[in-house]
Amino acid sequence: MLNIGDQKLGSRLFLGTGKFSSTRAMIDAVKASGTELVTVALRRFNREQAEDDLYGPLSELKNVRLMPNTSGAMNAKEAIRAALLGRELSKSPFVKLEIHPNPHHLLPDPIETYEAAIELVKQEFLVLPYIPADPVLAKRLEDIGCAAVMPLGAAIGTGKGLSTAEMIRIIIRDANVPVVVDAGLRSPSEAACALEMGCDAVLVNSAIAAAENPAAMGAAFKTGVEAGRMAYNAGLMPTSEVAVASSPLTRFLSTSD
Amino acid sequence: MNKNLPDWLNPEPWLGLAFSTADIERAINADSPNEKTLAALLSPQAADYLEPMARRAQAITRRHFGRTISLYTPLYLSNFCNGGCLYCGLAADRRAQRAVLDETQLHRELEAIKKMHFEELVLLTGERMPEADVPYLEKSISIAAEYMANVTIEVFPMSEPEYRTLADAGCTGVTLYQETYNPVVYEHMHRWGDKRDFGNRLDAPDRALRGGMRSVGIGALLGLADPVFDMLCVYRHAKYLLKNYWQAGVSISFPRIRPQMGGFQADFPVDEKMLAQYIFAMRIVLPEIPLVLSTREPRRMRDGLAGVGISKMSIASKTTVGGYSADAEESTEQFEISDERKIPEFCDMLRAKGLEPVFKNWDATYREPAHYEKS
Repeated sequence: MLNIGDQKLGSRLFLGTGKFSSTRAMIDAVKASGTELVTVALRRFNREQAEDDLYGPLSELKNVRLMPNTSGAMNAKEAIRAALLGRELSKSPFVKLEIHPNPHHLLPDPIETYEAAIELVKQEFLVLPYIPADPVLAKRLEDIGCAAVMPLGAAIGTGKGLSTAEMIRIIIRDANVPVVVDAGLRSPSEAACALEMGCDAVLVNSAIAAAENPAAMGAAFKTGVEAGRMAYNAGLMPTSEVAVASSPLTRFLSTSD
Repeated sequence: MNKNLPDWLNPEPWLGLAFSTADIERAINADSPNEKTLAALLSPQAADYLEPMARRAQAITRRHFGRTISLYTPLYLSNFCNGGCLYCGLAADRRAQRAVLDETQLHRELEAIKKMHFEELVLLTGERMPEADVPYLEKSISIAAEYMANVTIEVFPMSEPEYRTLADAGCTGVTLYQETYNPVVYEHMHRWGDKRDFGNRLDAPDRALRGGMRSVGIGALLGLADPVFDMLCVYRHAKYLLKNYWQAGVSISFPRIRPQMGGFQADFPVDEKMLAQYIFAMRIVLPEIPLVLSTREPRRMRDGLAGVGISKMSIASKTTVGGYSADAEESTEQFEISDERKIPEFCDMLRAKGLEPVFKNWDATYREPAHYEKS
């Protein structure tokens, strides 16, 4: 069981809901993945046109909680406004705080994110910020009350995997809140790897939405995340720079002439 | 080249080069595409590689935009124009029926467009005229913003304070094609009027962004001049904007003069294979930039290019003033649209190709003017 603030989640796989070929494909993938937390962009909420709305169909799913995100916000002020609207529409305590001033690579702005997080924590959101894999920023956000931190594995949609693994290891080592790798993952094995490292969860969108069979890929990620967590709990064997000889090199020290 | 073309925009070093088979294959699969990549992909030699280019373009489009196509529609506010563009059916010396929407008509048009599910709208006019100047645009934008999640404009170039006025009214973006980046051809095509000022038009996207717009759309009207030259300039222009306004959205469109349009015969006709090649090439070198295709193109081209480089499309377009509610005066259209499908048919096509039509991908929450000033 994963605790985020006062919320308990049975699955360590979170899903993004953009980029799918249809709402049906998205819903099928969500179901197959076993996720209990999905994020949806406020800019894709459309209460006037059900056909174009992501929120409506998602809110019908049992056992799945919504996490409105602030995608589209260029600064703290816009993100706060989006978060408040998202909460009003979804009644969810979660907010995925994302502020990406460059609309092309969508990399997060650490300064604006920190500013917005302070205010959203005050407003009693469970704030999950999407951040660069920066160990200092992660601790700063934890200190002000964020419910989790979500460092990127690589830039959104790139499928470059855990490019930031070394920094994520430090974030995990230092964190007192859940660490969720968000963005960049391409394959279930990478998700397994993140969980093996000690990440508490992963958030995936493109890898599933852009797969040939999104529902099957959702199921594959479910298995990958479960395997990774089991391996983490089982305790991986230590690594070694050299081969461990079956005949120890120091045996001579314990033998007599 | 005429001295009016700034050095940073001049692509001459990349023109007329011969590229080998290996050069083109390397370009199609480039990890770090650059201007040389683009020159190779635009070259006549690359025309034999359309299929591998299309496959790469589709993979990149899918990675960055998923399986979605953003949809928008244009709304012509006015077709009054004092311009002398040789290629335009609405030039001042054309015997065109002129019209401008009043507030009541604008509301009716917007209601009709809203019923079609659109949430993104481009407002258009001709060149600056008393009938449709900045105060008129300001009012029109504020009305449109009551209906739409996202309102942008495709109108005449303005000053930075004028753009700021429109951004404050709720406008988020500006589309402004340079038509051609060749200053000599540009001068020939624009016989009189404010539009003859090549530099004023070229600098307008900068002014728009400094004035608070969140995005700019650029492009060349393919057919006016050497299209390889123009495509290289579009690339250089996009890179310049991306580097100098790193928070701004930049998109590229591919309007093409077709021989039957308004009687104008293009000196450099761009056929369908060439257009596809240019779109694939631009997608490969600019993976993250929205590429836009309008209803000027025939349905076969639009169906084939959706999701294969192209990530954003207009549909159900009316290029007459008052065309949506059919309530305003009859007016002359700027150009003939080629894809006249209604929305359900077009969306069915997208869905059959495994693509989701997206009408709303923005929210009024984010309508505040942008600020790019460095502190």
